[in-house]
Amino acid sequence: MDQQPSADREKLPGRSISGKWTNKERVLIFSSRGINFRTRHLMQDLRTMMPHAKADTKMDRKDKLFVINEVCEIKNCNKCLYFEAKKKQDLYMWISNSPHGPSAKFLVQNIHTLAELKLTGNCLKGSRPLLSFDPKFDKEPHYALLKELFIQTFSTPRYHPKSQPFVDHVFTFTIADNRIWFRNYQIIEEDGSLVEIGPRFVLNLMKIFQGSFGGPTLYENPDFRSPNMHRREMRLAAAAKVREKQMVKEMQKGKKTSAKEDLESDVTADVFLTPAEEKPADIQTEAPEPKVVKKKQKAFKRQRMQMARR
Amino acid sequence: HFYLYEKVNIIHLHFIAQLQEAFAAGLLKPGMNVLVDKPKKLVNNVEGLKQCLADFRKDLPWVERLDLTNLPAANIISQAEEKASAPAAGELDADDDFQREMFFYRQAQATILEAMPLLNRHSIATKRPEDYFAEMAKSDQHMQKIRKKLISKQMIMERSEKAKKLREQRKFGKKVQIEVIQKRQQEKKAMMSAVKKYQKGMTDKLEFLEGDQKMNKESSQGSKKAVNKKGPSAKRKYKDQKFGFGGKKSGKKWNTKESYNDVSGFRAKIAHGKGGKKGKGGKQNKRPGKSVRKKMKNRS
Repeated sequence: MDQQPSADREKLPGRSISGKWTNKERVLIFSSRGINFRTRHLMQDLRTMMPHAKADTKMDRKDKLFVINEVCEIKNCNKCLYFEAKKKQDLYMWISNSPHGPSAKFLVQNIHTLAELKLTGNCLKGSRPLLSFDPKFDKEPHYALLKELFIQTFSTPRYHPKSQPFVDHVFTFTIADNRIWFRNYQIIEEDGSLVEIGPRFVLNLMKIFQGSFGGPTLYENPDFRSPNMHRREMRLAAAAKVREKQMVKEMQKGKKTSAKEDLESDVTADVFLTPAEEKPADIQTEAPEPKVVKKKQKAFKRQRMQMARR
Repeated sequence: HFYLYEKVNIIHLHFIAQLQEAFAAGLLKPGMNVLVDKPKKLVNNVEGLKQCLADFRKDLPWVERLDLTNLPAANIISQAEEKASAPAAGELDADDDFQREMFFYRQAQATILEAMPLLNRHSIATKRPEDYFAEMAKSDQHMQKIRKKLISKQMIMERSEKAKKLREQRKFGKKVQIEVIQKRQQEKKAMMSAVKKYQKGMTDKLEFLEGDQKMNKESSQGSKKAVNKKGPSAKRKYKDQKFGFGGKKSGKKWNTKESYNDVSGFRAKIAHGKGGKKGKGGKQNKRPGKSVRKKMKNRS
């Protein structure tokens, strides 16, 4: 199903001349060791979606983060998406502009990859995306900075050799519940009917740094709770519930077994009691007579009906 | 809650050394002093952020970036139902899955509607021509899997719908049947009691005979016609076939000409083997006798 893109490019209706690729953006997408299958697939999906992306081997977590800048320089990339997995549970994503620029760290949640069968859309490999942002991105300075980062990282440069000239999918970035939600839709009709392609994930901002993978902190998210703290809080809540139940049980037990106070006997209780007069003992010497039961004479049904008719 | 007898002073100091210094300086007052952490100061360097953005921003033409910022398109469904569309006004509830996904969908829709004219102006196509074959993000194999899954879901739904309808029909049919039977029984009962009454001399009218006779003839014929159209049901036919019609024996063991001439059951080995060993050789599974077993037990 592959074709020589260059030969076809001149024949394409939308393209008059194959232009020069001037916007030299290259993104390095790689991860640390200890990632699980979902993260790996997410990375692969992002590399599929972004033709201007490059891959690299896994980095050892023992190395300091600024080593990444050197890796980027070697690979001649000016943006970087670095996925870091901790405790085999939590996934953090760094997005940075490599030599000098700002960088941001996010906690990634709710990952769904391209391979999910419920995401039924499809798009050309390497086609350029439309980027759609929530107006809330323009309201706060930190969101504005993130918006610029996302635009520069995720938009495919025009006339990139590996890109396809059509625009057939949309990336949406929305802010809800203090998190950034990412979705990818395929454009089916030009009137706006869409199908989701995937991948999809949720980014929870932690910090924004002035330098790439370091430097002074420009912004810290006040609503961010680290996953460890979150898990700890859940455990404490559960423990507190159990302890409360136990306490209640103990209190009830205590109530039951505690000595009850004796109600004092009332001295005046039998003041108004008057004993009844004694009756003479009545001894029966003869047996009582048997009762005679008279039976009622009822007429039979037929007779009754005849009588009723008469 | 405990009753405070003295004033409580809250001190924002971390270290014992600082505490000692404060005591020396006379800052500490009598009463209960409670140690509380300083409220955490979170960095929000607005100036720094703006400066950084100004440095970092690349002024690319829109064609390179293809980005748009917009609110979601109008929600047609909620407008039709005249519901108050809360997301348009303020906060989007991230927990209501359907509402949230519709919000994202409409945001993407609004983007497309706005972007189409812009793309046309820059002569960038969104539809690829019919003969343009290129690699897709998801392989054809994967798309086949998706298609199969969708089809199977549809089939399951259809099957369950059919089953439901059948069940309903059967219930209804059963109801009607029961009603008819009950009606017939009631009529029979009424008839019998009327006849009895006449016989025993309680009534001397004979009108019940004519009325019932007319009705009975017509109704019985009518119902028989309806029943006989379909003949015996499938269940009846199956049982007839399996258990026969009761009287005649199976007749499978008769010596007819055909059964005598049928040599398919002849096995040459068995016929000429003179009845030697049984299938495997009798002793393989044979259990040793009582004395042998006793000896074995005593030995072990």
